[in-house]
Amino acid sequence: MTTYLLRRMAFLVISLLLASTVLFLLLRLLPGDPANSLLSVGASPEQIAAARHQIGSDRPLPEQFVTWLGQMATFDLGTSFISTLPVGPEIASRLVVTVPLTLLAFLLAVVVAVPVGFVAAHRSNRWYGPLLNGVSQLGIAVPVFWVGMLLIAAFALYFHILPAGGFPQDDWTNPGDALTSLVLPVVTIALVMSASLIRYVRSATVDVLDSDYLRTFRALGSSFTMAMWRHGLRNAAVPVVSILGIELATTFLGAVVVESVFALPGLGSMLAKAIAQHDYPIVQGVLFVSTFGVLVIGFIADLVQRLIDPRLRGTLSRSAR
Amino acid sequence: MNRKTTSLFGAAIALALALTACGGTGDGAGTKSTSPASSSNTDATIGIGSLYEPQNLDNTAGGGQGVTEAFNGNVYEGLFRLTDDGKVENLLAKDYKVGSDGLTYTFTLRDGVKFHSGDPLTSADVKYSIEKVTADGSQSARKSSFAVIKKIETPDDHTVTVTLSSKSISFVYNLSYIWIINDQAKNLATTEDGTGPYKLGTWKRGASLTLDRFPGYWGTAATNKQVVFHYYTDATALNNALLTNAVDVVTSEQSPDALAQFANNANYKVNNGHSTTKLLLAFNDRKAPFDKPLVRKAVTSAIDNKKLLNSIWGEYGTLIGSMVPPTDPWYEDLTKVNPYDLNLAKKQLADAGYPSGFSFTLDTPNYDPHPTAATFIKSELAKVGITVKINVITADEWYTKVYKNRDFAATMQEHVNDRDVVWYGDPEFYWGYDNPQVTAWVKQAEESDTAEAQTELLKKVNQQIAADAASDWLYLYPQIVVASSKLSGYPLNGLNSQFYAYGIKKA
Amino acid sequence: MSQTNIPGPIKATDPDSTVPAARRRGSATLLIGCVLAGAVVAVAIVSLFWVPFAPEDTSGGRLAPPGPPHLLGTDKLGRDLLTQLMIGARVALTAGIGSVALGGILGVAGGLLAGFATRWLDDTISALLDILIAFPTLLLAMLVVAAREASLSSAILAIGLAMSAIVARLTRVLVKRVLAQDYITASRTSGTSWPRVVAEHVLPNIWPTLLVNLALQLGLAVLAEASLSYLGLGAPPPNASWGRMLQEAQATVLTAPLGAIAPGVLLVVLVVGVNLVADGLRDVADPTRRRTR
Repeated sequence: MTTYLLRRMAFLVISLLLASTVLFLLLRLLPGDPANSLLSVGASPEQIAAARHQIGSDRPLPEQFVTWLGQMATFDLGTSFISTLPVGPEIASRLVVTVPLTLLAFLLAVVVAVPVGFVAAHRSNRWYGPLLNGVSQLGIAVPVFWVGMLLIAAFALYFHILPAGGFPQDDWTNPGDALTSLVLPVVTIALVMSASLIRYVRSATVDVLDSDYLRTFRALGSSFTMAMWRHGLRNAAVPVVSILGIELATTFLGAVVVESVFALPGLGSMLAKAIAQHDYPIVQGVLFVSTFGVLVIGFIADLVQRLIDPRLRGTLSRSAR
Repeated sequence: MNRKTTSLFGAAIALALALTACGGTGDGAGTKSTSPASSSNTDATIGIGSLYEPQNLDNTAGGGQGVTEAFNGNVYEGLFRLTDDGKVENLLAKDYKVGSDGLTYTFTLRDGVKFHSGDPLTSADVKYSIEKVTADGSQSARKSSFAVIKKIETPDDHTVTVTLSSKSISFVYNLSYIWIINDQAKNLATTEDGTGPYKLGTWKRGASLTLDRFPGYWGTAATNKQVVFHYYTDATALNNALLTNAVDVVTSEQSPDALAQFANNANYKVNNGHSTTKLLLAFNDRKAPFDKPLVRKAVTSAIDNKKLLNSIWGEYGTLIGSMVPPTDPWYEDLTKVNPYDLNLAKKQLADAGYPSGFSFTLDTPNYDPHPTAATFIKSELAKVGITVKINVITADEWYTKVYKNRDFAATMQEHVNDRDVVWYGDPEFYWGYDNPQVTAWVKQAEESDTAEAQTELLKKVNQQIAADAASDWLYLYPQIVVASSKLSGYPLNGLNSQFYAYGIKKA
Repeated sequence: MSQTNIPGPIKATDPDSTVPAARRRGSATLLIGCVLAGAVVAVAIVSLFWVPFAPEDTSGGRLAPPGPPHLLGTDKLGRDLLTQLMIGARVALTAGIGSVALGGILGVAGGLLAGFATRWLDDTISALLDILIAFPTLLLAMLVVAAREASLSSAILAIGLAMSAIVARLTRVLVKRVLAQDYITASRTSGTSWPRVVAEHVLPNIWPTLLVNLALQLGLAVLAEASLSYLGLGAPPPNASWGRMLQEAQATVLTAPLGAIAPGVLLVVLVVGVNLVADGLRDVADPTRRRTR
């Protein structure tokens, strides 16, 4: 396990390095000099040159790249072109919104999807099995921003029981207010996300229900609950855990749209604005932190999966094998 | 994107004159606005909804339109104040004298003024603040209006003497844009040290900015304890915030869509103020076919501006027929100069040598209302045989292609400032209108001794550019402030993006 | 990452116990899917030849209620809603099919390359794919749009590129699975060339799964384009797109609800239809897949 852990961590570091290189190159392909955004009408050529120098866009690419790698290695994310403020603390202040939003939505989706998926599989011959299936079929086809729009229209504008968007200016000082403002966004994400999770849980359950060992156990006299509890759950959990890893990552980054719908000051809305303004340091920083998060989630999902599935021991992750 | 370009022009310089009414005394609460409520709570917190978050808090380092809105008059004060209805009053300057040559200005500073840090206001702070705007690294777009300053002297702590290299009737008006900052202040991108009725509380990037009443203010204290600017990235979220009472007032409505919900609701008041934002169809006056005034006039006459305005703003907004909005002293109604008349347009086209029309590319910024207006223009011009190719570009491309490189036939843009007709006196400006007579009038106007002389000259400028159809001034935006009916004392016009909050009362 | 990381829907099978039952259910699913998706396709085709009003015609007046001559009413600029919806169908299908074509071609080529490559090259490609997949489609698309310009072709390029990584990874896994079979080794030993192996053994074995996956990707691509348009990064106005129509109708959701509902309903109909087609195809084409895995 230790060797595996070390190799898996080495893979993580290499992935990060590659990811930051890809990021750097992608961003430098963007046209338009960010210096433009700094200046107003009437700027002289000298002012433009000064702005370019200030943000470093007049230096050769390799030099910029070395600076960038050095910064990433020390987690120094640089200074925003537009606001001239350091990027790191700014991202940290946005995580206060994005991380709870992601985790709450994720938890809610899991809490809904696991029992529903199980029932949909176990009771596929009853009337509500296909119904649940149909609902989840609808759920994966619904655009997340539309769900958000309709929820705002209903609960904020029509019934006036929840805020339409925004986040308390004092963050979590008053947890009640903060939670209230997250209710609709969390429900929006969880609704859409649980739809696809239900399908995974259902198919994993079906696999287990069909499995020979479960039949054997039942033939040997175990009750269904007993057999399911002792063997089925663990086997069904293996594929679900790895999917959970991906879904968590997707939620984390999918927050871009939802944060825009609900005017939440999170990482996603920050990124959308920075892209429009060609504020490279912010775009780089947010994408770097997000990629880091996604890779770490994958790493953890792999570890958990190995812990519960002995068959996988001795292999590295599939892709690095 | 919209906000970005708006701030581009929001920051643009309006060369302009100061009104003669210079002797008034600013008493610290001078914003003219709605009538005060009979009973109000001086400990109230006012929530202000806005689309313009500051980039940073330094207006000489690219802070943008947002920082002007939040800080002008609220946190920082100038020597003079531009009131909401466009008058210039004394503020930190108690008094000033102009030398007989018209070149030497002597300002006497108000006594007992303290910065938020506790430092007293001195002439050194004023010198520092002006030089911060004119410095080499300054990104202030107002920089060039102060190119006339030859030297600044501080004979004593309460006196500042500024010598100009040529006469400038707009000098005092322009000074109202300069924040007086403590010369000892540090980290101005994230903190402040001004003399205004509020000091900065917290700034939560991407969400809100809080201003707290400053107990040591020299003038009349603010009528509320705290104001919070809540920032939204789109107009719908902003309206929803007002509808759900997350904010009390919206600084400027950018779309008419939600107004019906407020107009028919006793809990809200929809105020129709005076705007200075004009939507232009700007021709490249240097290049054929738009180098011929007759062609420009034909295009102007072929577009039904009234119908365009109605389809974008419904019943709101005004037609102007020139670059000058009704709030500028040199306004006159010129909508009849190039009337909507298809037959006239066809005749003018024939006279100009294009009897069967022509085709041109319209560079259109990619955010509303430009694409819609461009589509409308395309269908209108097709009726007189002109083919329009709509080329949708980003604000960034607009800046590079149109503004910097002048590589365009015609474009659309919003111009937000008051008194900006003077740009037609600059042949180097992006639209390239070059009429030596107009250039001379604009220059003389700036150097005139009286406001009357200046007004007279700028009226001539206005008539001439309309006669030449230098651009097609499609319409003047409405300026709509929507507020909870519990609120009073808020500014209505938001002139040049300012939003004075110190007089707002909440019942 | 892990075994089950193969893009999800491949796992979502119906718990049918017999092959004929799966086939039967597959054809029913397929039929419903074809009807739903086919309806949208039909609307899109009709819109090529006829729409009730010209798309730029603003003569209808602001937010006219449904009723003749504007059957579904007008939007805030006075444009006919039905016309916009019909053109939106065309845009959604163009975006979906374009992205899938691009992503499919690039992805299958990349996956084949990795599948046949030496271990070292395979590892490198796999690691790169993992990283690309770590950027979700929407973020990648936002970057591409920022690099080019907001337009339908940018959106297609962006979504197609993001999709190609997912398709490539799936193709690689499928290719490896086929190549591990004994008969491939046998046929290689008897001197069959690699191109012939691909043509005779690999492609025929992997295409059903690939086709099913591409159909699911089509649904995702349609949703991605709608999201981009909603964020203002899709085809610029005045081109119609369901995503932007929803964004524009957001302001009037209570006063003119139809504009905020109709485009969303159509999106769901199209995506559900496409997904059902994919599910049905899987059951019909490869009903035994789950058991042979």
